[in-house]
Amino acid sequence: MTFRFDFRHLHTVTRYCGDKMNGVRVGKRVIGAQAPVTVGWDNIPKVEGGPVKQFVFTWFQPTMLFLLIAFWFYAPNSIAKASTAIGIGIGFKVLLLGLEWLTPRHESWKLTWKELTTDLFYVGLGYTALRMVDGYIGDGVMIEAIQHNFNVEKFAWFTGLPLLVQALIISLVFDFGQYWMHRGMHNWGPLWVTHAPHHYITQLNINKGAVGNPLELFLIGLGVGGFFDFMPRAALLAGTFGLAVGTYQHINVRFNSPRWWRFLFNTTEHHSVHHSQDFEASRSNYSNTWIIIDRMFGTCVDGEAELLGMEGGRRMSVRETMVFPFTEGWKTFKARFGARERFDHAPSGAVMPAE
Amino acid sequence: MNLRFLDWIWHVRGTVPLAPEQTVDDAFERLDPLFRQTGTSHERTDDTLSFRKKDQAAQDRMAVFDDGLLQIRRGADGLMLQYRLTSRMLLFCFLAPLLFLGFAQATVLLPKLSRPAAEAKAKKPEVEKPLAKLNPIDAALGAPAPEKPKKKKEEEKPSPTAGYVFAGLFALLYVVGRILESRRIAALFRKSLSGV
Repeated sequence: MTFRFDFRHLHTVTRYCGDKMNGVRVGKRVIGAQAPVTVGWDNIPKVEGGPVKQFVFTWFQPTMLFLLIAFWFYAPNSIAKASTAIGIGIGFKVLLLGLEWLTPRHESWKLTWKELTTDLFYVGLGYTALRMVDGYIGDGVMIEAIQHNFNVEKFAWFTGLPLLVQALIISLVFDFGQYWMHRGMHNWGPLWVTHAPHHYITQLNINKGAVGNPLELFLIGLGVGGFFDFMPRAALLAGTFGLAVGTYQHINVRFNSPRWWRFLFNTTEHHSVHHSQDFEASRSNYSNTWIIIDRMFGTCVDGEAELLGMEGGRRMSVRETMVFPFTEGWKTFKARFGARERFDHAPSGAVMPAE
Repeated sequence: MNLRFLDWIWHVRGTVPLAPEQTVDDAFERLDPLFRQTGTSHERTDDTLSFRKKDQAAQDRMAVFDDGLLQIRRGADGLMLQYRLTSRMLLFCFLAPLLFLGFAQATVLLPKLSRPAAEAKAKKPEVEKPLAKLNPIDAALGAPAPEKPKKKKEEEKPSPTAGYVFAGLFALLYVVGRILESRRIAALFRKSLSGV
């Protein structure tokens, strides 16, 4: 196995060879010891097909990003609003669902009626129940509170910057927050129990990003939307980065993403590593949009995985997803304080083991 | 209430003929791989097979069904596989429109219920948002100049549209699923029995 540290790209690159289940060393960690993970961009299969197909699947992502940025930059004020963004988001996802159907990356990730129905249930929750709750305790309420307590004229230096610079800053700052929220979810029990149900998915499809406990969906939904009222066009442009990049996280389509794209942005390959059944691999690639944040903090693993999920691929039902944080929280509580009780009632002078 | 008139909603029944020379044992042997999946347990007696699934994988070809009974009986034209399968997902999809209609109604009702409390709260003065000036670079590139933000309409009502849309979507999904899955499972059994 050859090992090369590339200062230019600020990440370690290893060439995969040898027994898969021994894993591959990436930095200080061994990736792929528990479940198969392909590490290194050179080892990932490319899109197969003629020159036209190759061209389309190489330039699709940058082209869509550029078109969307151009749209929001030049759109008249009358249509530069949230409802337009929602419409574009839905249309874009329908297009990508079609692309999944035509050119699936993995047969094992092909969408079935049952999975489509389940995914749409979670998406529907987001558009209805969660939106209702958000109105009372979500980011819109927080931003309004901030606006009333701070002198907004002091931010004129920011709103005077070029729009794309504003959008870039907003997108990076919020993704930075999302990165740490997500990393916290993988490192701290009370947050993990809200996020764990999402990791039981065994396929990546467009709508699978919505699958999870509503508590988690509320936490990760604390984002850009609250600033819309304050700086609409910059917020829409920032949101476009999320749409034109983040949507591909959970897609069952293979792209030949350009080198610069996968250096800066989170890709479906990165996210598949994050969803891998391999424990160490799942503790990587935490960002939503900007994988460069993972590179900065040493949590980036360039690669891909097909075998996803938890507990050997057990599917979590909707019922269990809804109650998981509470049932697991209760189990942890009982285990912690129940054990203490047994020690308290032990015969004097002796500490009796729990078993 | 006699559930027999309603259980078609989440039960799928059908028959598939066996090949003329095919025996009961041979038929169940060919169907056996379908029941050796993660989360699936099954029991077989002479001419009957029953199975249960729990947390079955998305990749399971019979994932939509949670339990069922397969029996091989002699019909007028020879041996037939009769099956009766249960799907909680079909039932869930059938009931989901009601859930989303409920969300739609809640979207309309909740603001009405909380309005007296909101009116009692001291109204905060509206934040005067300064009109942002367009950066010279943006102006040179042709971006539209920002407009003074319109005053927020009093009593902006939240919309129940999303609830209605998803209710309709699930109603459509149910019709599609009920037809599609019964055809799929019949085709799957036929293919398995013929050994293709």
